[in-house]
Amino acid sequence: MSEKSENAKVHPSESGSGSGATDGEDKKDGSTFECNICLDTARDAVVSMCGHLFCWPCLHQWLETKPNNQVCPVCKAVINKDKVVPLYGRGSTNQQDPREKLPPRPSGQRTEPEPGSAFSGFGLGENGFHMSFGIGVFPFGFFTSMFNFGELRPSAAPRGTPQHMEEQFLSKLFLWLALLFLAWLIFA
Amino acid sequence: MANIAAQRIKREFKEVIKSEEVAKCAIKVELVNDNYTELKGEIAGPPDTPYEGGNFVLEIRVPETYPFNPPKVRFITKIWHPNISSVTGAICLDILKDQWAAAMTLRTVLLSLQALLSAAEPDDPQDAVVAKQFKENIDMFQMTARHWTNVYAGGPHVNTEFNEKIKRLQDMGVDDHQARVALSSYNWDLERATEQLFTARLTLVIFV
Ligand SMILES: [Zn+2]
Ligand SMILES: [Zn+2]
Repeated sequence: MSEKSENAKVHPSESGSGSGATDGEDKKDGSTFECNICLDTARDAVVSMCGHLFCWPCLHQWLETKPNNQVCPVCKAVINKDKVVPLYGRGSTNQQDPREKLPPRPSGQRTEPEPGSAFSGFGLGENGFHMSFGIGVFPFGFFTSMFNFGELRPSAAPRGTPQHMEEQFLSKLFLWLALLFLAWLIFA
Repeated sequence: MANIAAQRIKREFKEVIKSEEVAKCAIKVELVNDNYTELKGEIAGPPDTPYEGGNFVLEIRVPETYPFNPPKVRFITKIWHPNISSVTGAICLDILKDQWAAAMTLRTVLLSLQALLSAAEPDDPQDAVVAKQFKENIDMFQMTARHWTNVYAGGPHVNTEFNEKIKRLQDMGVDDHQARVALSSYNWDLERATEQLFTARLTLVIFV
C-alpha cells in the first residue's frame, strides 16, 4: 500500500538523479524488518510461530501486559514465549549477547544430528535415546550453562568445535548415567 | 517508557500523514502538544450512513504505556450513535479496551471508528437511549443522527421540522442543545419532551 505511493513519488521528482529509485527500494526492504510493536528496525529480533517479527524486549513487554491472554499483536494468534524463534543475523555474534540483558531472549531450539549407531545394541532404539535425552537434559543443561558462566557464546555450539565435542561427550555421559539408572530400577 | 510512546507516535504521525486515507480526506491527525501525548483526530462520516458529509473531531490521549495499552479516545463533536455517549462522547469499542493489540496504530484506530459509524452494535451500547431507538425505530434513529450530523458536524441535510420543534422549546427558554437531546430522546414528540424538560426543572426547583 505504501509501495504504490512511494513509486509514484519517486519517479516524477527524482528521475534525474537516479538515486531516487534505490532510495525507495531501500526503504521498502527496510520496512520488512521493522518490529511490529515499536515500528523501528527490530533489535534482538524474534519471530512468532505465525511469522510476525518483533524486538524481543517489545514482545516481552506485550506478553507481560496481558498475562492471561497471550496473543500475537498483529494477527491475534495464540502466542507462547517458549515458541518464538530468535533471529541471528550475520555478524550478530559481535554484538553483546542479548541474554545478558533483561529480559533474557529465549534461545533457539537446536535438534542434535542423529547420533552414531554405537548404542543400537542395547535394545533401546534411537527414539529411546531422544526421549531420555529430552527428559533428562533439563537440569543438566542448567549445570552446563553454569560451567560456562561468563563465556560469551551462542546457545548451541557449532559442529566440530571443541565446545561441540564437549557437549557430545556430556550428552553421552548422561545417557550412560540414565541407562545405569534404568538398569538399577529394573534389577533392584 | 514514555520515550517508546513518543517515538512511536512520531512514526505513526508520519505514516498517517502519508496514507491514502488522508489523501482522500477520510481521516486526519494533528498534534495538540509538543510531547506527543495529546492529539486531535478527525474522521469523515462514511458514505451511505446518517453521518455522511459530516466531519467528526476526536480527542486522543496517548498513555505512557502506549502501544502496550490503547490510546484514550472520545468524540469532541456531538454525535447520535448507539456506541457513543451523546453526553460525553465516550466510545464503546472493543479495540479501545480489551481487544487492543500492540501492533495497532492511530490509523487503525481512526479507521475502526469510521467503521463503527457504518456498523453500530446496539447490543453493546454506550448510550442506552440511542441504542433503544436504534432497535425500536430505525428510521427515527437515522433522521435524528442525520440531524445531529447537520448541526454539529457540518452535514448537508437540514431537517426543518426538527429545527422548528427546537425553536419552539427555545422560545420557552430552553437551551438549544438541551432541547435537541430531549426531543431526540422522545422520538421528536414535542409534548413529551416539553413535559420531561419542565418536570426536571420543577423537581430541581423543589429540591433547591
Ligand atoms: Zn520493537
Ligand atoms: Zn501473528
